[in-house]
Amino acid sequence: MILIVGPLCSGKKAAAMQLLHCDEQELSRRAVWDVQELAAKSGDLPALAGELARYEAVIATEVGGGVVPADAEERAAREAAGRLCCLLARRADAVVRVFCGIPVVIKGELS
Amino acid sequence: MMTLVVGGSASGKSEYAEGLILSAAGWPRVYIATMQPFDEECFRRIEKHRLMRAGKSFETVECYTGLASVTMPENSAVLLECMSNLCANEMYSPQGSGENAQKAVLEGVERLRRQCRDLVIVSNEVFSGGSRYQGDTLRYLELLGRVNCALAAMADNVCEVVYGVPVYYKGGEPN
Repeated sequence: MILIVGPLCSGKKAAAMQLLHCDEQELSRRAVWDVQELAAKSGDLPALAGELARYEAVIATEVGGGVVPADAEERAAREAAGRLCCLLARRADAVVRVFCGIPVVIKGELS
Repeated sequence: MMTLVVGGSASGKSEYAEGLILSAAGWPRVYIATMQPFDEECFRRIEKHRLMRAGKSFETVECYTGLASVTMPENSAVLLECMSNLCANEMYSPQGSGENAQKAVLEGVERLRRQCRDLVIVSNEVFSGGSRYQGDTLRYLELLGRVNCALAAMADNVCEVVYGVPVYYKGGEPN
């Protein structure tokens, strides 16, 4: 599994299509995105990470920057999103961070 | 030669971008200013940038919308600052192109690139504060994000400026 991360609107999905050599339709079968939103609803992050790791690529928007949210629910959601991505990064064969559409490999190697 | 310079606010991206133009061979040096002043704070900000450019032989051209109508001298070195303002103007200003903002901006840049010798474009990193945006803010972020990706694809060099230190993601420092 390749974990693809990056800020909002940084071209993560386009980078995933490039890395998996596929179009958007095929991407929805082979990859999953916005996983940061799934973390908050999950009571079991390791189990969620295990499920997501079955995809070839997992895409997450980095949400840990900026001020800690004043709202308790948002704070918990952001915490869960970060923890989930740490678990995914540990399992991933490669971690790619996207900057303005440019993929940068920060862990492992792309085969 | 086209270079995209991206950075957060007060990251030193303007000064770095100006330096790239100063060491480029292109002449004359033209600064395309995109910030439309609305209040005293805008004027102060513009004045700060003017002082920073003083003595560097820049000719300033103001362009708030309609970049494609700007004509540059052949062989010039052009600094466009900042893409975040130009996108906001195209999207929200009555003179802007609204839903066609992306097309208007990218066509303008493509035209500019063909006209001048050296082109440096400054853009803003505003995407790291989370993902829970809605409405106009989300639409603006989507526009600037798509424009940044398209500019990065067009550019020979792409860097992020971290407190004055350039980190290159594509190409390298020109010259």
